[in-house]
Amino acid sequence: MLNEVLFYILSALILVSALVLISARRPIDAALSFIVTLVSIAALFALQGSSFLFATQIIIYAGAILALILFIIMFLNIQDKNLPDEPHKKRDITFSTLAVLPFTVVLISLINKSPLVDQALPYDLFGGIKDIGSVIFNDYLLVFELISILLLVSLIGAVSLAKEDKDVK
Amino acid sequence: MPLDILLNILLLAPFFSALFIAIIALAQPSSPKIIYSILAIFAPLLSAFLALILIYENYFNGIDIHSEIFTWLSVSAFHIPFSLHLDALSSLMLLFVAPVGFLIHVYALGYMKDDSSYPRFFALFNLFMFFMFLLVLGDNPIMMFLGWEGVGLSSYALISFYYEDAKNVAAGNKAFILNRIGDFGFLSALMLLFISIGEYGFSFSTIELHLHEMSAERINLIAALLFVGAMGKSAQFPLYVWLPDAMAGPTPVSALIHAATMVTAGVYMLARFSDLYAMSESVSLFIAYIGAFSALIAALMASREFDIKKILAYSTMSQLGYMFMAEGLGAYSFAIFHVFTHAFFKALLFMGAGAIIMSLHHEQDIRKMGGLRKSLPMLFIMMLIASLSISAIAPLNGFFSKDAIMGHIFASDAYIIYGIALFTSILTAFYMFRMLFFVFYGEEKIKAVAVSKTMIIPIALLAVGVILSGFLNVPSSFGGSESISIWLNLPDIREFLDHTTEFTLIGLNTFFIFVAIFVAYLKYGSATATREDVDKYRYQKIISNKFYIDELYHILFVKPLYKMSKGFDVYINHKIIDSSIHRTIALYYYIASYYRLIYDGSVRLYALFMVFGLSGLFIYLYFALEAM
Amino acid sequence: MLSNYLTLSVILFSIGIIGVLSRKNIIVIYMSIELLLNAVNISLVAISNTLQSNEGQVIVLMIIAIAAAEAALFMALFVVLFRNKRSLDADIFNLLGEKNAS
Repeated sequence: MLNEVLFYILSALILVSALVLISARRPIDAALSFIVTLVSIAALFALQGSSFLFATQIIIYAGAILALILFIIMFLNIQDKNLPDEPHKKRDITFSTLAVLPFTVVLISLINKSPLVDQALPYDLFGGIKDIGSVIFNDYLLVFELISILLLVSLIGAVSLAKEDKDVK
Repeated sequence: MPLDILLNILLLAPFFSALFIAIIALAQPSSPKIIYSILAIFAPLLSAFLALILIYENYFNGIDIHSEIFTWLSVSAFHIPFSLHLDALSSLMLLFVAPVGFLIHVYALGYMKDDSSYPRFFALFNLFMFFMFLLVLGDNPIMMFLGWEGVGLSSYALISFYYEDAKNVAAGNKAFILNRIGDFGFLSALMLLFISIGEYGFSFSTIELHLHEMSAERINLIAALLFVGAMGKSAQFPLYVWLPDAMAGPTPVSALIHAATMVTAGVYMLARFSDLYAMSESVSLFIAYIGAFSALIAALMASREFDIKKILAYSTMSQLGYMFMAEGLGAYSFAIFHVFTHAFFKALLFMGAGAIIMSLHHEQDIRKMGGLRKSLPMLFIMMLIASLSISAIAPLNGFFSKDAIMGHIFASDAYIIYGIALFTSILTAFYMFRMLFFVFYGEEKIKAVAVSKTMIIPIALLAVGVILSGFLNVPSSFGGSESISIWLNLPDIREFLDHTTEFTLIGLNTFFIFVAIFVAYLKYGSATATREDVDKYRYQKIISNKFYIDELYHILFVKPLYKMSKGFDVYINHKIIDSSIHRTIALYYYIASYYRLIYDGSVRLYALFMVFGLSGLFIYLYFALEAM
Repeated sequence: MLSNYLTLSVILFSIGIIGVLSRKNIIVIYMSIELLLNAVNISLVAISNTLQSNEGQVIVLMIIAIAAAEAALFMALFVVLFRNKRSLDADIFNLLGEKNAS
């Protein structure tokens, strides 16, 4: 019962902060509300007992990635005049919503038809670091290595992209 | 080793040597010449050696050798194995193709030694040997056709060998295109043959067995179409105009391909299908007349020609005419025997001519030659032997084969053809000795350079062949046994003359020949001869201009075709096809100019389209699942 | 119940799409894309817990790692774009269009 209540509270937080995110005018506002979303999602993981993912979400998403976004926003020193003009923002959001609505409604109704969804979540301690670690290093070692290579590549790519192009100037 | 494997090696040796020469030349262009020389000589030598072994087996032990290398095509009833068959006919062909081919390869080593395209020449020359063997040894008409086309291809490439000069390329094209016309006939005949009796199998032996199942008209049609093929390949009227131009190639090529082997393929093909021709008298008679006519006009043109190689080319055409006369009148084995002897003396003549041309710094006009008797005495003797042989003087090989043909023509009561043949024979002696006197008598105009040994030795060996090879088929009137005719076992029509008539005819012929030689001596050889051969009379002018046949063909075929192409180019291509394509393009461009408005480069808009698609898909999915 | 989690996931995903479609600010668009990833994460974790299978959680881990790689590239991109055009307007960067290419 308590789990249900907590779930609804967290869901409300996630959705509200997501809506704030997409409607905020300044990126700094969006980034701050994005923190709320991410932390709430992390709490949702914790609610289901996935302790390892909870930690990862907090550390990487809410910690590293968001810190990076905030850092960039401040580093670029974005003034209000740099922001794009969005006079029809409300109209755009409305039309986009209409465009997406069929997808959302149909998908939700299809989900509710599935026999699987009536099961209650066990809410036990599942998905601890030991379990996930053993799965990764037994069955998904190659994927793990590939991910590490991908990270390396993106690191190099980011450096070479952001480097000032001397030939142009 | 089993004989069929020897046969395979005989066939494939030139092919692989051609392949290796080509690979080496492409991979390592700076390789020393000796490598190419060894490769180029080794394969024909091996082939000639194996050919002699196999022919020995066939002649003395009567073994027909059959070898199936692989299945080439198998489409329901159309089963074509890549198979070889050596019987008496192909043995006799091999008996001159392989050794003469080898000798000309040796000769070519000397002839081509300063040429920059040395490997290209020998690769093509060896390739030609491969295709010629395939043509002779093929067990079914398809294999024969493969060889037939292959020799045509190598001939084309070798005629245009000095491709830097556009004239030589044009000569190659001419040969190739005229041969295409012939091939059209050959191919149509093969298709008809297959439609008619193809279901029993398509090797020569099965075709022979089932020939009688076809109607007479069908047989006549096939025979005529096959002869069209032979006309092209063997340079008979009216498809002969390529042969004189083909002399643009190097002289060894002229000797091997355009005198000794390839041009006789038509005669060989007719002999292969001799059972068919034996059933088709009208077409055979037509062939005899075409042969006679070709022999006559070729001899006439040769007697007014000044290019030494072209004289020999016309003489080849004339001799081929004799072979077709013989085949038309049913003397297949005599025709094949003439092919055999002709290969020797004609190769000898060409090689001699090549040696003369080389020693005179590539001079081909006989008016500018003269007096070579003193500086090149060996060559003079060889050329004299060959000229006597082609003029049918006993006991050289030309006498035995040509005389057999003449006797047969007389015995078949074909007196018109006999008259033509006799006149041509006299003309032959005249033009050969005209050439000989021009080249070897009179004053020496260009100083001759000594000829290399690799060229003289093959010529000498061939001369021995010319002297001896005639004795293989001595007619019964001279107490011989005609062993080759019996060995070949072709469906000959045998006509016998009593010996008195035969000796009279031979005496008459020989007498006229000596008269012709004497006339030629008076005109061109004696000390008082003017040796200027200008056209005094109208008929001489017509002959000198080769009866205006080339011009006629140009007006009849080339010009209308050219005009038609031009018309097609302007009206059909530009006005109809191109403009319709351009209009279509313009239409699409117009439509696209509206369509392009949607895609203005804003990625967000693209994302919106994607979401529309996604939503549409899900709506469809929903109703589709509801319906289930 | 699992259906609640999945519904939440779908709604969050839709919000992310709306954000990508309606906004011009590239930083907001980037964060909307992150929302899409997180929406998927939510459903993956819920299903993984329901089925008592760790594979789903491993996939989530991979997604987070990829998101990190992506973040690094995005940030570099922002720096370059902002340096060149002094603007965060996504509609300025429309070089894909034929007439806009220079």
